[in-house]
Amino acid sequence: MNPTRVLYHMIRADFLERVRRYSFLVTLAGSLWLAYAVAAEKLWIVVGDGYRGVYNSAWIGALMAVSCSTFLSLVGFYIVKNSVQRDRETRVGQILAATPMRKDFYTLAKTLSNFAVLGCMVFILMLAAIVMQRMQAASQSFSLWQLWSPFIFLTLPAMLLTASVAVLFETIPFLRGGLGNVIYFFAWTAILAMSVNGVNDPTGLQLIYASTRNTLMPIDPSVADHFSFSLTIGGERAVRTFLWNGIDWTGTILLMRLFWIAIAAGIALLASLLFDRFDPARSWRRSKAAPAARTPDATVPETDSPLTSYPSTAPALPPSQLTAATRTSSPLRFAPLVVCELRLMLKGQRWWWYVSAAGILVGQLVAPDAGVRAGFLIASGIWPILLWSQMGCRERRWSTSALLFSCERSLTRQLPALWAAGFLLALLTEAGFGIRLLLAGDWHSLAAWLAGAAFIPSVALALGVWSGGSKAFEALYTIWWYMGPAHQIRGIDFMATTPASSTPATYAIAAAFLLTAAYWRRRQLLGYA
Amino acid sequence: MHLTIDNVSKQYHGGTWALRNFTLQLSPGILGLLGPNGAGKTTLMSILATITRATEGRVLWNDTDVAANPDSLRATLGYLPQDFGVYPNLNAVEFLEYLSAVKGLDRASSRRRIDELLNLVNLTDVRQRPLGGYSGGMKQRVGIAQALLNDPKLLIVDEPTAGLDPEERVRFRNLLSELSGERIVILSTHIVSDVEATATDIALISQGTLVAHAAPEALLQKVEGKVWEWIIPSNDLNAARQRYLISNVVRRSDGVHARVLGNLPPAGAQPATPNLEDAYLYCLSQHRGGSPA
Repeated sequence: MNPTRVLYHMIRADFLERVRRYSFLVTLAGSLWLAYAVAAEKLWIVVGDGYRGVYNSAWIGALMAVSCSTFLSLVGFYIVKNSVQRDRETRVGQILAATPMRKDFYTLAKTLSNFAVLGCMVFILMLAAIVMQRMQAASQSFSLWQLWSPFIFLTLPAMLLTASVAVLFETIPFLRGGLGNVIYFFAWTAILAMSVNGVNDPTGLQLIYASTRNTLMPIDPSVADHFSFSLTIGGERAVRTFLWNGIDWTGTILLMRLFWIAIAAGIALLASLLFDRFDPARSWRRSKAAPAARTPDATVPETDSPLTSYPSTAPALPPSQLTAATRTSSPLRFAPLVVCELRLMLKGQRWWWYVSAAGILVGQLVAPDAGVRAGFLIASGIWPILLWSQMGCRERRWSTSALLFSCERSLTRQLPALWAAGFLLALLTEAGFGIRLLLAGDWHSLAAWLAGAAFIPSVALALGVWSGGSKAFEALYTIWWYMGPAHQIRGIDFMATTPASSTPATYAIAAAFLLTAAYWRRRQLLGYA
Repeated sequence: MHLTIDNVSKQYHGGTWALRNFTLQLSPGILGLLGPNGAGKTTLMSILATITRATEGRVLWNDTDVAANPDSLRATLGYLPQDFGVYPNLNAVEFLEYLSAVKGLDRASSRRRIDELLNLVNLTDVRQRPLGGYSGGMKQRVGIAQALLNDPKLLIVDEPTAGLDPEERVRFRNLLSELSGERIVILSTHIVSDVEATATDIALISQGTLVAHAAPEALLQKVEGKVWEWIIPSNDLNAARQRYLISNVVRRSDGVHARVLGNLPPAGAQPATPNLEDAYLYCLSQHRGGSPA
């Protein structure tokens, strides 16, 4: 076995598989929009008291590189965090596990294949950067080194780190699914926050921060005391310019960047230690789903002898004597299906999930109003995220589509029942807050609360049906929840955490629109009305 | 009660025709749908189960166009797809309760029926165990149970014995025979012995077209006098395969006993009683343009 050849083909197969996906094109479009935003002066780095750099190669390169680092280190993670999972689902992993391939080789290859996908996007942006600088009328002399060096030294190490962390998350059972998607967002936010506190960060923001500060200090000494640095889209515009010729790539700085490459390699190796090599006996899900049934064939005979008696049960009735199947004629016939959908959502949660949900609920009832709005209510918006994220994509994930969609009126019964279950879940987890509003007779807030509770399952259902997976909702909802309800910002606070930030009509309309979009897409997928 | 498949064709993205002008009229009984891999069996099953639409032609259930009114068929349809999954955190009872709710069945009667069905497919002892811990054969039996939940008038089972051990296969065949009285059962498979044991009618499909539709006896008559048993030394077997259509080979102490299909026997071969596998291979060979010697 030639390891280089094996590595090449693993990377190639993964790369081709992923670049042919719709999600790759969407992410690439998002990245290219960032490039356009730089050229169109919609995306800014504002430093000091309203300064930006003159649009030379160094400034455009740095601006695009850090935008790309921050954007792709978040979105790119969700794009590439599926390579091990795909091998698991397609059973290709079992074939690979039966070869002499070592675990560290596998995780390293997966890291590099993730990096190839992200690196491809970076390379396209590097080419776009040339075009963007040409489009800038105010641009100075062109320097390819100054334009591209931030991509090479800042963005690519960040992408390698993202690639390795994605593999690590896939090898740690409890981070493999939706919980990992949520946790990564908070880890990413924490790392970005580190950069403005002078800590060496993987995206390179801190290096730009330090370099621009050093350049600006002789021009405006006031920045020595209160220097600010922000990467904004459509926000505060810089009113003054200064000449910045880029980062001086000293040996120390390069070592700092190499440090992140070494960390990425270390993470890939750590992943190999945690990797189960597709051994089903080490599968966390299986042990969680069936704690007493790890080896079902060994503990319970799969069959009795043919056509013989059943030792522990009554003899089977012939099919003609089975209880007749009757259709329900109850006016509440929709209700049992909603209950079943809700049970399906909740089934499999561990005891601590329910204890925490109950704690949040009690907190909503007994805590002071400010504490409820700033704490318990917001917590209830994120706690069931992994339950909502299964909406609309559960059938595809577990291959039950053919069973469900061949049933009578599956589109007009099952889909609304699923939405209703998600809505009920939102009402249940936020019930304490709702009761308080009801007792206070605060009808506007109550309407806003109901609109928020309707909005959440509508987003989940629409994203689940359209994307076919849970990741889109887990990533988008977490970001939205963090930016909106957690910071109580009007317009994007769908949970109406304060009267000032609530916009009930907007979210009621949005919920109806999203529900319609989900219905329309499901109808399209079914091929039948 | 009748199902009419009228000139049905199906074209996939990319232009591949999986079915071409397929026509069949079905009444109560078991239709064994036989064909090689990629013949179009699963495509036909998906069309009949209202999962996908035909590109051309019509499917009529009791004279109602299924494309225009799919629920007319879905209300009385039981479908076991070739590849299906289960929700791993639910146990068998919960999973079947969920599907009976989706099918719009009455809660009380469906509970009793679920118990009886689990007994029928021999899963009563493990009914409370999460499905995630089931073996492939056990999941297949859950699939069989769900297909029978609504007492279907049209039962479509696609490769139902895949994953079942020989004992459960026999049990399933018997169950299928018992079910066939007042309903139409379509059994799609490439395992000839499953069809031989149960089917009242056989449809052979190859390359998306209907090769033959007849009772098993009629198909067997087609190869009457065309099956020969030929004993040859084992090192002549490869040469014999080049010259003749051989349906089966058994090694014995006196040499290799080869079943040869052809209008004329090889030198020294004796006439043999045809079976369905012989008929199947003969018809396919004829369809592909091969002419047994």
